[in-house]
Amino acid sequence: MSAARPVAPPAGAPAPAELLEIRTIVRRVIASRVRDSHMVDDLVQETLAKVLTAWGRIDPDTAIPYAIATARNVVASTWRHLDTTERNLHRVVDLLPADRPEDAVLDREEGDAVATALTHLPDRDRALLVAHDVEGRELAELARESSTSPGALAAQLKRTRARLRVEYLLAMDHREPPTPQCRPVLLALSGGDRRRQRELDVSGHLLACPYCADLGRPLSQRASDGTSTRIAVGADADVVLARQTGRDVAISLGFSATDGTVIATAISEVTRNIVKFAGTGEVRIGRLQEPARCGLLVVARDAGPGISDVDLALRDGHSTYGGLGLGLPGCRRLMDEFVVESESGRGTTVTMRKWRSTGGPGGR
Amino acid sequence: MLVSILRQGDYLLASINAALDDSEMRRFQEALVERIGDERCRGVIIDVAALDVLDSYAAATLGSLADMARLRGAETVVVGVSPEIAFTMVQLGMSIPHVHTALDLEQGLQVLGRLTSPLPPPRP
Repeated sequence: MSAARPVAPPAGAPAPAELLEIRTIVRRVIASRVRDSHMVDDLVQETLAKVLTAWGRIDPDTAIPYAIATARNVVASTWRHLDTTERNLHRVVDLLPADRPEDAVLDREEGDAVATALTHLPDRDRALLVAHDVEGRELAELARESSTSPGALAAQLKRTRARLRVEYLLAMDHREPPTPQCRPVLLALSGGDRRRQRELDVSGHLLACPYCADLGRPLSQRASDGTSTRIAVGADADVVLARQTGRDVAISLGFSATDGTVIATAISEVTRNIVKFAGTGEVRIGRLQEPARCGLLVVARDAGPGISDVDLALRDGHSTYGGLGLGLPGCRRLMDEFVVESESGRGTTVTMRKWRSTGGPGGR
Repeated sequence: MLVSILRQGDYLLASINAALDDSEMRRFQEALVERIGDERCRGVIIDVAALDVLDSYAAATLGSLADMARLRGAETVVVGVSPEIAFTMVQLGMSIPHVHTALDLEQGLQVLGRLTSPLPPPRP
């Protein structure tokens, strides 16, 4: 709203008494049309400014009617302007939510943590990480420059990333590790180095040190989904391949021969269901590594017709194809954890876990 | 050779030598039932020692195989169930009904000898 600028009264400026009279009338005219008192003040000023600018051109006798007309016009044009603004207001609404104030702080904190973590890396490791992950240069090219093999660089890169993860967590936490043992333990956990974990008795340390148990959780969870074997299932022979792979993985994780057979049998049952009902699918067999225990994860997935009644399918003796009806309910008894997710027409996912019964990692 | 079927006297010895998938299991079942008639056998021994798992399908197949054999006049004994498979089958809540079991081939032959009384000598 344009406020009245001090206008130099042109020749024949109105006498103060005259101006005061005009101002009173203008105010009455505007106040009868506008409720908001601040706006009334603004509009009175604007009207008077216009009247004074035009003073030389108007007949002093018609000054008051002129001021009244000007006041009406000013009010009308203000309404028009407000109307237009209101009509178009929705156009300026920002559909993207405004940044929450804490986001910027969190981002900065995370950036600081990464920066701090980077400074803790040895120079050579940091240079390699930056060259490969930030500048996007190929390992082969870097290997030629430093006259080593790409494989050696890849191993170095893997160690460096493991180290960066630990340093990042430490920097985010703002606490110093309570014992000198903590950093190497977290490092072994982050790198997934099982031999080193055994040497350091990582599982023992994690039980005793709440700090590492807390910080190590994301590290060990990360390690547990990194290693899995995928078997595409499409024919009877794949059932045998899947169950034999499952047994091999189980034995390599230190499961007993009996548990190996138990796991292979459960895999056989769920994989057969894929072949029989969906035709094709996949089985993933992976390692579960938690601080205190170690186990095997089996995920059998298909995009077939799904199970219309999961509860019924899990009941003993219910078979849709003349089998013993022991497949799914039997698996539930064989494995420690057993979950069937199925949606009619969308496929089925069976997730099974078996935990190794005794000893920590590396026991037996 | 996944399965070998040999004749010994009045009996057939069927050894499963590798892990069988479902269709191989089914072919084995058909082949064995046919051989029982061809060889005019009175007993069958199935050695499952080399089978990696005995899941619900394999157990059902062995069970129906024994039923079919009995209809063809032969008794069936399953031998070589490993401790791991025994443990798993019990946990799974599974048994092979109407099938005799024995520890190994030797005991299997004894069981068959008891089950199949010698046929009366042919009339002169």
